[in-house]
Amino acid sequence: MLEFDTVIGLEVHVQLKTNSKIFCACSTNFESPPNTNICPICCGYPGVLPVLNKKALELAIRVCLALNCKINKRIYFERKNYFYPDLPKNYQISQYALPIGEDGFLKISSTKTVKIKRIHLEEDAGKLIHKDTYSLVDFNRAGIPLLEIVTYPDLDNPDQAFEFLTQLKLFLQYIEASSCDMEKGLLRCDANISLKPKGSFVLGTKVELKNMNTFRGVKDALEYEVERQKSLLLKNENILQETRLWDQTKKKTFPMRTKEEAHDYRYFPEPDLKDFIVSQNLIEEQKKFITETPLQKKERFLKTYGLLEKEIDTIISDVWLANFFEEAVKFYPQPKEIANWFLGIFLQNLSDLHYNYNEVKISPHNFSTIVRYFCEGKINNLAVKKILSLSISTDKNVDQIINEEGLLQVSKVDELINFVNEAIEQNSKVVSDYFSGRKEALEFLVGQIMKKTKGKANPKMARELLEKSLKEKKNKI
Amino acid sequence: MDNLINLEGVEIAKNIKDNLLTSSEVFNFFKKRIDRLNPSINAFLEVYEDFKIEGDSSLAGVPIAIKDNICIKDKRITCASRILSTHIAVYDATVIKKLKKAGLAIIGTTNMDEFAFGSSTENSCYGATKNPWDILRVPGGSSGGSAAAVAARLVPFALGSDTGGSIRQPASLCGVVGFKPTYGRISRYGLIAFGSSLDQIGPITTNFVDCAHLLNIICGFDQYDSTSSTKEVPDFTKSLDINIEGIRIGLPKEYFCEGVAPEVLNALEETINIFKKKKARIINISLPHTKYAVATYYIIASSEASSNLQRFDGIKYGLRVNANTISKLHSLTRKEGFGCEAKRRIFLGTYSLSSGYYEAYYLRASKVRNLIKKDFDIAFSEVDVILTPTSPTVAFKLGEKIDDPLSMYLSDIFTISANLAALPAVSFPCGFNKQGLPIGAQLIGKEFNEEILLRLGFSYQSITDYHKKIPKIATIC
Repeated sequence: MLEFDTVIGLEVHVQLKTNSKIFCACSTNFESPPNTNICPICCGYPGVLPVLNKKALELAIRVCLALNCKINKRIYFERKNYFYPDLPKNYQISQYALPIGEDGFLKISSTKTVKIKRIHLEEDAGKLIHKDTYSLVDFNRAGIPLLEIVTYPDLDNPDQAFEFLTQLKLFLQYIEASSCDMEKGLLRCDANISLKPKGSFVLGTKVELKNMNTFRGVKDALEYEVERQKSLLLKNENILQETRLWDQTKKKTFPMRTKEEAHDYRYFPEPDLKDFIVSQNLIEEQKKFITETPLQKKERFLKTYGLLEKEIDTIISDVWLANFFEEAVKFYPQPKEIANWFLGIFLQNLSDLHYNYNEVKISPHNFSTIVRYFCEGKINNLAVKKILSLSISTDKNVDQIINEEGLLQVSKVDELINFVNEAIEQNSKVVSDYFSGRKEALEFLVGQIMKKTKGKANPKMARELLEKSLKEKKNKI
Repeated sequence: MDNLINLEGVEIAKNIKDNLLTSSEVFNFFKKRIDRLNPSINAFLEVYEDFKIEGDSSLAGVPIAIKDNICIKDKRITCASRILSTHIAVYDATVIKKLKKAGLAIIGTTNMDEFAFGSSTENSCYGATKNPWDILRVPGGSSGGSAAAVAARLVPFALGSDTGGSIRQPASLCGVVGFKPTYGRISRYGLIAFGSSLDQIGPITTNFVDCAHLLNIICGFDQYDSTSSTKEVPDFTKSLDINIEGIRIGLPKEYFCEGVAPEVLNALEETINIFKKKKARIINISLPHTKYAVATYYIIASSEASSNLQRFDGIKYGLRVNANTISKLHSLTRKEGFGCEAKRRIFLGTYSLSSGYYEAYYLRASKVRNLIKKDFDIAFSEVDVILTPTSPTVAFKLGEKIDDPLSMYLSDIFTISANLAALPAVSFPCGFNKQGLPIGAQLIGKEFNEEILLRLGFSYQSITDYHKKIPKIATIC
C-alpha cells in the first residue's frame, strides 16, 4: 500500500501580556463585562488615531528573540482592509511586508527543531455573539495586542504539532510574554496540512484547518484530516484546496460554508503611525527576560534531580510549579522527597484553589521544611496533610502551626510505651490472635495506638515498641 | 460696535481685556451677523446658542468657527455627509481642547465638501456655500464654509483642514489668509481623516497677526497623535517683522505657466514687485516634478481615504440602513450615506490599492511623492521661500465644474505639492480682478519654517490693504 508523508504548518495567535491595549489605554482584562474596556480609539470613532503601546512592541521583540528570529531594525505597520462587524475601523492594523521577526526556530526534542517563518504584531478584533435573529458585538477584545507566529510546514505529524504547541506555550509563559490560556482565547491556533507520497519532494494540496479550541483539538483535527486525505488519495481522488472547520463534538472537519472568495486585503503602510527603529539597547534589554527553553529545562531537571520523566513533565508543565519546586529543593536538597509531596498532596491542594497562584501563600521554604520534618520523623504523613492544607493560604511559620495544632509526632519511648501497654491490655483477644500467628493483628494494635495518640504517634516506632512488648509478654507466658 | 468687523481678532480680545467690550457682546454681534447673512452664503452648518470662556490667551473671548470635520465634544459633527448627519462627537479634538484652554468662544461649525472631498464646497449634503464676493460663485473648498465665513466677517477667524489645498484654495478664492502648517505641527487627533499622511489643520484669518496668534495656540506635540512633531514651537508672533531684506524668494517656472489666468499672473507680478521693493531677492527656480503632483496626490489621498472611510458602516454610529445580511447593511448604508464624490474617491482609492494594481498606482505614487519632496529639498538649498499663485483662476461659477471632476481636481494644482512634501504654505490676498474677485498668492516654506511665511505675509500686509477689503454683502448688515 502507498505510504504518505504528512506536512503540517501552524499559525499561532497569542495575546501579549500588557495591561493596556496596543493603540489606546483601555484595559486588556478579559473578565470584564462586554463593552466596558472600550474607548473612542479602540471603537474606531471618527477622528481618533492609534498610538503604539511600547510594552507590546517590547514583548513582541522578546518573543522573536526567544524563538531565535532575525529582528528587522525598521518596524512599521500596515492596514489590512476588510469589512467585518467585529473590526471597528474595518481595517486591522497589522504587519505584512516586514514582520518584526523572521526565520527563527524552536527545538522541541533532541531530534526535532521547528522552523519559524515569521512573527508579526497586530491588533485583535472584537467578538461577535450570535443570537437567533441578531448578533451582538463586544469590543473589549478589539485592540488587544496580538502576536502571529507562523511556522514553516515543518511538522511531520499531529503529535509533533501538539508537542510544539505545548512547548511554545510554556516558553511564552516562561518569558512572561503571554499567559497563553487557550480557554480564555489568549492563544488561538490554525493549521495547514497536506500529504505527499513518502519521500516525495513535491508538496501535496494544502488544506487549512480552523476552529480548534484546545491543543488536543488541534491534534484531533489533524489526525482526522490525515485519515481523510489519505483515504481520498488512495481512491485516487483529488484533495480540494480549502478551509475546513473542526467540529469538536462530531470530531470531524467540514468545509467552511462561506463562499470561497480570494480576499484582497489591500495592504498599505499605516499612515497614522511612524516607523520605529529597534535599537540595540532595546534588544539587549529584552534578552534579559529570555529563559531556558522548555526542552532545556526538562533536560536540566532530568540531569539534576534524577526524577522520572513523567514527574518532570508535570513539574515543568507550568512555570510557577517549576520555580516553586526548584526553590523548595534549594532549601532541602532531597528532590525525590520534595517531588513526592509536591506531585501528590500539594498539587491536589492547588487544584482545589483552581491553580490560582495568587492565593497560594505558602513559600517554597516552608514547603521544604514540612517535607524535611516528615523525613526526619518529626511529623507523620497525616500531619503533613494537615499542615499543608492549613498553610497553603497563609504564610504562617510551620513550627507555629505544629505547635498550635499539637502535631509534633510522639517519638519518645517513655511517652509511647504507655500507649503500647494500654493497647495490649485492652485487646487481649487480638493479642492472642497475634500469638497464634495472625500477623494482621499487629496492624490493628498499631491502629489503636494511632487512635489513642490522635495520629501523633510515630507509627514506625509504635510498631517496634509493640513487637518488643509482645515478644516480652510471650516470653513471660 | 459696527467697526468690530474691521478689527483684528487680537484687537477684539484686547478690547475685552480692557473692559471696553464683553465677550457676550462680541459673541452676539457675530451671531447676529450670521443669522442675517448665512442664509445667503450658507457658510455655517450650525451656530451655537451660547458659549463658555474656559481659559485665557491673547485671543480670549473672541469667537471662532470650526470646520465640521473637527470633533467638538457633545456637538453634532457631520463632515457634511448624510452618513454622519446624526453623529454627536464624544470627545474634543486636541485643537478644540487647546482653543477652549485659550479662552476662545466656539461659535459654530462650517460647511465643507463632504469629508473634504472637493474644491468648491458644492459636495455638501447641506448645499453649497456661496462666495461672499459673488454669491453665484463658489468659495473654493473644501474649507469653503470657513473661508466664506471669515471673508464675510461672520466670525473673525476659523479653523479649516488642508489635504491638498483645502485651506489655501478657498482662502484665495475668498480673499482671506489660509495657513497650512508643516505636517505634524498640529495634532490631527479629532480631525476626521481624509488622507492621513496629508491632512493638516490650520487657521483661516483675515490677516497675518491673528494667524500667528492662532498658530501659537494650536501648534505643538500631542501624545494622542504619533505623527505630531516634538519639535519645539516658537512664539510665532515674534515673526511679525516688517523687515524682509535679503530673504531669497524662489519663483518656480512650473507655476507661472500658460494655464494660469493673466489676471492672476498680473497680481503675482505686482506682489513680486512689492517684495522686491522691500529688498527681498527674487530667484528663478524649477520644481521639475510638479506636473506629476495632481496624479500622485489623487492616488495617495484617495487610497488613504478609501481605507479611512471604511469605518462608516452603519454598525457603531451614524446612518444605518437595515437589511437582512450584514454585507447588505454595509452596502445599503454606504450607498445611501455617501455622496457622489465620496463614492468616486472610494472607488479610485480601492482600485489603486487592489492587488495587481498596487505597484502600478499606490507604490508608484509613493515613489513620485519622494521625487516631489526632493525637488523642494534642492530648491530650498537656493531659496528661503517659494512664491506661487494659489489657484490658477479666481472663483469659478457654482455648477461650472461640478460635472467635470478632472477640471475640478486641477484647481488644486498649485497647492497639492506642499501637502505631498509636508511643507508649510499659506495663501494671502494679493489683488482683485476687474470684477472685484480676490486673487491669492501662495508662499511655501521649508519644513517647520512657518516663521518665514508669517514674516513675509506680515511685511506684505503692512504696506497693502487687500486684506482689509470687505465684500459688499458683508457691509449691508
